[in-house]
Amino acid sequence: MKKTSLLLMVILVIILSVVLSVTTSHGARKKRPPHHEYGNVVINNFSEKNKIAPVVFNHWLHRSQYTCRLCHADLKFALKVNGSGITETANKKGLYCGACHNGKEAFGPVEKVRSGKKSRKNCDLCHSYGKKVAFKNKFYPFTKELPRARFGNGVNWIKAEKEGQLKLKDTIKGYSTDKIRKDSPSDSIIQPDVTEMPRIIFSHDNHAVWNGCSLCHPGLFREEKGVPKITMEGIIDGKFCGTCHGKVAFPVLDCQRCHTKPAILRR
Amino acid sequence: MKSNYIYFILIIFLIGATPGEAADSVWWKLPSLPQPENYGNILIDRTSSNSGMKPVGFSHWSHRVNYTCRVCHFELEINMMLNTTEITEEQNRYGRYCGACHNGKIAFAHTKENCEKCHNGDITYGKEKFGTLSDLPPAKNGNGVDWVEALNSNKINPANYVLEETRLLKFEREVVIESPWAGISPVPFPHKIHGQWLDCSNCHPDIFQIKYESTSDLAMEAILNYEFCGVCHGRVSFPPNDNCKKCHTKMKSPGKIDSSGH
Repeated sequence: MKKTSLLLMVILVIILSVVLSVTTSHGARKKRPPHHEYGNVVINNFSEKNKIAPVVFNHWLHRSQYTCRLCHADLKFALKVNGSGITETANKKGLYCGACHNGKEAFGPVEKVRSGKKSRKNCDLCHSYGKKVAFKNKFYPFTKELPRARFGNGVNWIKAEKEGQLKLKDTIKGYSTDKIRKDSPSDSIIQPDVTEMPRIIFSHDNHAVWNGCSLCHPGLFREEKGVPKITMEGIIDGKFCGTCHGKVAFPVLDCQRCHTKPAILRR
Repeated sequence: MKSNYIYFILIIFLIGATPGEAADSVWWKLPSLPQPENYGNILIDRTSSNSGMKPVGFSHWSHRVNYTCRVCHFELEINMMLNTTEITEEQNRYGRYCGACHNGKIAFAHTKENCEKCHNGDITYGKEKFGTLSDLPPAKNGNGVDWVEALNSNKINPANYVLEETRLLKFEREVVIESPWAGISPVPFPHKIHGQWLDCSNCHPDIFQIKYESTSDLAMEAILNYEFCGVCHGRVSFPPNDNCKKCHTKMKSPGKIDSSGH
């Protein structure tokens, strides 16, 4: 009995030390996705259970034509991957992806081929994880003419919309209400805890074009200022601003993009 | 009783023999430094050799004369770890990575007659131009150039961006990093000097946490193993071989260390 427990201990120590030596990867930079993969998410609620490849959803192609608000508010997509529980039945009833991917607004699951009465299945166009699919729109040629930016997709989406290169659709008939607030409050200035850090200018204008009000308020931020308390660690962990920034919008690596207003230093 | 003793020895032995521990057990092994004209030179070979091309010979010194670290390692998103950035020919041609400058406008283009200028498989490529650095302030190790002094005395004027005009974030707090050993003076870390070359995100939060004193495992052994400060210091910026006092400013003895590692 004693011998076996000791043997177990030896084995445990071996396993532990091997695991520790493998997982201690500190003090080095993490890998980041290349421009064409930034914002891509793999949706796998039921796909693999039903023996079909998971869906690879690219934000870059969708956001070149639609606002974030349209899908994440009107079509009720959660802001978290796999948070919506999308099913084939729901899609076929015109919910979620099915609101557009119905053969009218965008390609549907089955498409009629022009010549003859044959039809083509479009499963692979969405359920593409791990497959080689010849997509119509390729990232680099598609974004070639759009203004460049560092990080994310390497595209300055805000500028592209402002300068009219992108015409974003914000509503879809039968799903959106007509009462979308178009005005936005003035910029807010946020004082960081570390006094030497430049202050943050938050532009409601830049955000509201894409997101409206409801994507952030009151779920991520309450309407009162400073509630809940925003921390940089939280943002890096994907909370607050990090809900979008770091996943689809420009990542929080770019400190000076938000921390723009010089700090007031009293010496 | 006797068998217990044997197991105990065995456990101690196994802990000592695991791969992670073995790498750390060689203390004060200072980086072996190449010739000054080759310091910071790398061969980039993620897919080149597999695609029938020679690896890319890249020299840091020839680039840092004209551009700060942040241009490539921040704006153009080239990782600091060799061969981890998925640079492809297509991306270069669409103005990503090297292609942001090597487009025939800022620097020579990605065209057929220029292949050999990068894909030369030669880590010493361009050494004949090293003499142009002889006017710069000298240093003991590395490239033999005190790059910080060169920048501060306006001997070089490297650009801070190539894509987007940016006003750099000003953060000049001197953070004191305490040494875990008694008698070893703390390191007053100058954010100001690093900020002249680098962007915040080059170090934070992947290499160093953003909160004071929250970075764990920061130790000299790790630095000499090319982690933390050693990501740059030992490969491209001044190596720890120089002088302990360069960082541990108040150390009483200069810390006599020879580059053989003892």
